[in-house]
Amino acid sequence: MRWVNEHRARWRGVRWLAWVALVCLGSGIGFLALGEAAELRFPPPDFESGYSMPATQYPSARSQGMEWFDIAVLLATLGTATALVYAKRSRTGLAWLSGFSLLYFGFYREGCVCAIGSVQNVALTVFGTGYALPVGVGVFFAAPLLVALFAGRTFCAAVCPHGALQDLLLVRPVKVPRWLESGLGVLPFIYLGAGVTFAATGAAFLICRFDPFVPIFRLSGSLGMLLTGGAFLVLSLFVGRPYCRFLCPYGALLKVASALSRWRVRVTPDVCTQCRLCPSSCPFGIIREPDPGLMRPKEVSMARRGILVALAALPFLVLAGAGVGWVFGGAAARLHPTVALVEDYGDSLARGVPATPTLPERLALDRAERQSKDLLPRAEELRGKFRMGGLWFGVWCGLVVAMKWISLGMVRRRDEYQPDRTACFACARCFSSCPQERIRLGWSPAPDAVTTHPAIAAVHPVPSAKSGGCGCGPGATGGNP
Amino acid sequence: MLPGPSNDDRTSRREFVRNGLRVAGLTGAGVAVGALSHRGAAADTVWQIDPRKCLSCSRCATECVLEQSAVKCVNWFPICGYCDLCTGYFEPQPIGLDTGAENQLCPTSAILRKFIEDPYFEYKIDEDLCIGCAKCIEGCKLFGNGSFHLQVRHDRCLNCNECAIARSCPGDAFYRAPVEKPYYQFTT
Amino acid sequence: MNSETGGRWTRRQFLGGTAVAVATGPTTWAAPQTAAAAAAVDENPWRYDVDRLRQVDPALIGYERVAGFAVAASGVRRLVWTTPRELWVTAGRSLLAYDLGGAKVAEVAIGDVVRCLALAPDGRLFVGLRDRVEVYDRQGQRLARWPAVSGKPFLTGLAVGKDMLFVADSGNRVVYRCDLEGRIQLRIGEKNPERNIPGLVLPSPFLDVELGGDGLLRVTNPGRHRVEVYTVDGALELAWGRAGVALDAFCGCCNPIAVSLLGDGRVVTAEKGLPRVKVYGAAGGLETVVAGPNQFAPVGSDERSRGKPDTALEGLDVAVGADGRVAVLDLVGSTIQIFQPKGVAAVAA
Repeated sequence: MRWVNEHRARWRGVRWLAWVALVCLGSGIGFLALGEAAELRFPPPDFESGYSMPATQYPSARSQGMEWFDIAVLLATLGTATALVYAKRSRTGLAWLSGFSLLYFGFYREGCVCAIGSVQNVALTVFGTGYALPVGVGVFFAAPLLVALFAGRTFCAAVCPHGALQDLLLVRPVKVPRWLESGLGVLPFIYLGAGVTFAATGAAFLICRFDPFVPIFRLSGSLGMLLTGGAFLVLSLFVGRPYCRFLCPYGALLKVASALSRWRVRVTPDVCTQCRLCPSSCPFGIIREPDPGLMRPKEVSMARRGILVALAALPFLVLAGAGVGWVFGGAAARLHPTVALVEDYGDSLARGVPATPTLPERLALDRAERQSKDLLPRAEELRGKFRMGGLWFGVWCGLVVAMKWISLGMVRRRDEYQPDRTACFACARCFSSCPQERIRLGWSPAPDAVTTHPAIAAVHPVPSAKSGGCGCGPGATGGNP
Repeated sequence: MLPGPSNDDRTSRREFVRNGLRVAGLTGAGVAVGALSHRGAAADTVWQIDPRKCLSCSRCATECVLEQSAVKCVNWFPICGYCDLCTGYFEPQPIGLDTGAENQLCPTSAILRKFIEDPYFEYKIDEDLCIGCAKCIEGCKLFGNGSFHLQVRHDRCLNCNECAIARSCPGDAFYRAPVEKPYYQFTT
Repeated sequence: MNSETGGRWTRRQFLGGTAVAVATGPTTWAAPQTAAAAAAVDENPWRYDVDRLRQVDPALIGYERVAGFAVAASGVRRLVWTTPRELWVTAGRSLLAYDLGGAKVAEVAIGDVVRCLALAPDGRLFVGLRDRVEVYDRQGQRLARWPAVSGKPFLTGLAVGKDMLFVADSGNRVVYRCDLEGRIQLRIGEKNPERNIPGLVLPSPFLDVELGGDGLLRVTNPGRHRVEVYTVDGALELAWGRAGVALDAFCGCCNPIAVSLLGDGRVVTAEKGLPRVKVYGAAGGLETVVAGPNQFAPVGSDERSRGKPDTALEGLDVAVGADGRVAVLDLVGSTIQIFQPKGVAAVAA
């Protein structure tokens, strides 16, 4: 109660100050010689019937408190997801959490604020002028990345509404050929570069505008985007998380962060018996089989040579990217509304204005005519910005391709079946395919001392591909029985 | 949960590098957060329309990402003339000055006309019906005081990063308003 | 998967994948764009359309433009035709005098925004500010400063007679009759059922008053779309005019905004919205059109008049010369145009 009173008093103080400011402003107007713009209002009519003028309603925006609530929900879901992956190892829990995230961040918050788009806000804050990053957006950008530095992509597992929607829709996963998967894997990085470039130049929030799922969360949108969203939904039925794997720019950042992660998702809770049951349980096909690494000297030297060639090609790729980016940067400037307007204005001067004076396009041209003194130099400045942006984007693309190329020559030794940590969404589907996990959960007969002994397991011969003798089919992709 | 300790030299070196990078990442994040917060307390902003620049082009009705545009007509009563013949309410050539649909300008009959006293009438907007097409605004602006004006209604607006209407606004009338002053305020 | 490379994959696969990636990018990019372009509407279905009303049959226009010039000042508001060769314009905080060729012949600075102006036969200038009247001589020397009007004053019109001044106050919705010392003698035009006066209705500040040679006052009542004729004792003699976009009616919600009198008692009216200047007979019948909307800058052609919040400068003002010519001040375009009746005979009249 005391707080309420204090709060009220403070509020009264604020209001009082506002009044003083208003009065000062009003009386100042007469002296400031602001001319016609600052004329005092013409009084409304005197009503004799006792009518009092209604106050114009100004509904307020979503309160600041709700923003903090969003942050709290994000942190809570992130924590829960991480715990579910590492401590509980529970696919069911993650599925429920996905459902919640989909409802809250997706359908209730309508896909805003989201970590994917926050990349652009950060870019605009860093490169743009006069834009301050809201706290909520900053947390949505940073928290999942920080978690990924330690625990991998648990954000993707059950917090991101985009991932949750696709994940929950996945009924009949199709295996995407490895080469296609790897090739398309470059796209998120390119998209990230493009998103950052366009946000930094203040042209567009590309990632938001072409987000296929936000129109679905909002149940409205342009026809084109709704169709694209629908296409992604249908695709999600058969291809696991197509957006996350082949497009998501935030996923690209998470990939990098999770490459450094302190802990990783492991299929088995114990020791890998190399039973070969888990790879097919992953709908995203990212469980890698054991690899002895490069054993023969010939292989080693070939791999080295490959890396050297890639390293030698790197500067050329970067330079080529920069050149192409510089050339196309000017053309891409048209995506900025001001540049587009000025170009259309130039066209209209050359060809004569369109005959329909009522169209918004024509109204815009009229404005360009009136403001041409300001707009033309502004457009030129923007074009310059875009050429620089294009150049950096080209450099980025060259780097991405070169890094991909270099990574081809890198071979890691793997002793067990394990998910590729950069690509693993921590969805926990593979857990239940592991016989060791089934034993842990008590679904299979009591542990056999022979198979669990590390010394024996290490020398255990790799069973043949068809010897799935433990009674669980490899098709148990739906998670829990 | 963690991979067991390994005697393998390569693995431990990799682990070392990874640790180093992780620390670098954390430090970088810290520096970034510090730098960004240093750029000014994050003043939240919302989209709003400057009525002085609005060209009544009707794009607010069509471009919003919402099924029902978040932009609505607002009547600012202190400058409303309370006219019997309201050019924002009636067709340019009304058959009669009554609420008959054939006389109304608004395509969705979203303006409510109420008799107060001779000769004054009050005009209120039913925001559930208003589509933000700005037809009435042009009528009010052309002949009257311009008390009708378009505003982004923040109980509806999603505050997109990139406002689809702002992008295509021919008058460049959209601006980012500080969240403490989320509506355009007439100064006169 | 190639058995020799184990789980690894070859460069050829990488190149193929990259090619697919490169092809997919533009496709996913272009698809929504083309769809959006296809859905574009090619006209504004919600346009407020008054284009057809802007046209006036040339046969009905009885005047022709004989001169015109731009006023190089902002905030022009009222126009007075003082001597046969001189036009006085109020512009913001100053009065400007022009000869008919557009050359500035005098300038008087006033302490506040000038809203109306009248010239007494003895040469004194009565200048209306928002809440008071000030008196100046033609050299710009202030002779008197009358007390502020009480209530919610917003003076917009002045008319001067032999020993009285009529002050139109839009804010209080009344016309005051004062003596030339500034004492209010009578309030004219207020709602009075006993005298059958319905009252002045002013949605916006455009109350104008003119004193005719017949000793009767012409007062605009824009909210009722009429011109009212009062005696100097405040009796309503006559009212004429009707609302509508038709040529003989007053358009929009508040018109006419200004009147001026020809020597023979005919009335020149000015309208805003659809800027029109027309001549009515003394009893109200439309006689001819001086100028139609096409002769003035359309509202919206000027940044100032877009989305006007209130009291924005728009519309027209008219002043009549002794020879029957009509000067029209365009507040949006900041121009003065002079019209005279078509044909020489008309000029003589």
